[in-house]
Amino acid sequence: MPDFDAKKVAEIHQHLHSHLPSESALRVKALETLLVDKGLVNPQTINAWVEAYSEEIGPKRGARVVAKAWSDPAFRQRLLDDAPAAIDELGYLGKATAHLKVVENTDAVHNLVVCTLCSCYPFSILGIAPAWYKAAAYRARAVRDPRGVLAEFGVDIAADVEVRVWDSTAELRYLVIPQRPAGTDDMSEAELAGLVTRNSMIGTDRELGRE
Amino acid sequence: MDGIHDLGGKQGYGPIEVGDDDRPFHSEWEGREWGIAQCARAPGITIDWWRHCRELIMPLDYLERPYFDSWAQTDFATYIEAGWMTLAEAAAGKAPAAPDSTDPPQPMSLQQVLQEDRAHAIRFDGEVETAAAFSVGQRVITAQHGHAGHSRLPQYARGRNATIHAYNGAHVFPDLSAQGTEIHQHCYNVVFVAADLWPEAAGSKDQVYLDLWESYLSGA
Repeated sequence: MPDFDAKKVAEIHQHLHSHLPSESALRVKALETLLVDKGLVNPQTINAWVEAYSEEIGPKRGARVVAKAWSDPAFRQRLLDDAPAAIDELGYLGKATAHLKVVENTDAVHNLVVCTLCSCYPFSILGIAPAWYKAAAYRARAVRDPRGVLAEFGVDIAADVEVRVWDSTAELRYLVIPQRPAGTDDMSEAELAGLVTRNSMIGTDRELGRE
Repeated sequence: MDGIHDLGGKQGYGPIEVGDDDRPFHSEWEGREWGIAQCARAPGITIDWWRHCRELIMPLDYLERPYFDSWAQTDFATYIEAGWMTLAEAAAGKAPAAPDSTDPPQPMSLQQVLQEDRAHAIRFDGEVETAAAFSVGQRVITAQHGHAGHSRLPQYARGRNATIHAYNGAHVFPDLSAQGTEIHQHCYNVVFVAADLWPEAAGSKDQVYLDLWESYLSGA
């Protein structure tokens, strides 16, 4: 059981700084070896988690949610009212999405999501966060200079469009619903899902188009 | 804690490396650490204690080491603090010959892990006896100071005027959860006008939204 002793943990970190190998791969290898040797973890279960988040759980899920919201007004409303229940209809409720909220882009509003205190992310619908989302530069700047950040992603926001930054530091998680591109009335839900980029669901992409 | 992790609004971090591809893991070790973190949490630990242990990584390591590397170090620290392993074992990268556990976990299949991911849809809301102090649309001011422990009121949003945008229900209060005590407290989505946070945002209509607990707030 933990003692919740922060002073002790600070000391442990100092020791680890001096005594763990420098290379990340070796550190993680040491951690896994220890846990397996102690009978605390089964390495095949680790394999299964890697496979789950490489093959099954990722931004394709979020893209399907967005495409369904575009195509099915009743689903869109359920998503706005109770996003966890709505994604559960698709079997996508899971890690870090029990308090999911969706926020919609409009002609007048652009939404951008960050976590300035760690890197909280809606894992079960977007998978593993991209490297930039976890980087200090994004975490530091998204709340202070969102338009500058967006420009670096190639997204220019008109002066009359309001930028809303969602700093997801509690247990709520945010999914941006980008605007449906014009000229896609003939497209099926599956085809529409193919237009939705991961970045557009975080807010670092805005104008989606037909491929 | 006024730690290195509290990055919102800090300057000098330069441009963002925007060109990331869609691969979830860029090295094998990143995937291994992801998997370890999903299936090896020390008993009695809370998510907020784990987050606080990550915040306690030495600042130079926090900024310099890769993301999943910091998870591994946080795991080491929480396991050692909870008595799951020793510093000497961590440094050696191996355990004494005999397993500590007489009942090692059975392997889980992909389907079982996908079920487990569904079970990780953990809710943090619950009942409280007191009524919510604030209502939607009400003006509030955030606490001027933090404290030495774990907290989810970022420095940039302290001592600022804001408006209650929505009521989230009562959620587990992280400041106490990081000390092992799970108590629910009213939690609100609070909106700040960017111009009230940043001098360079003067005149801007842009807004920053944060989910904040009631004890971080007082009436304006």
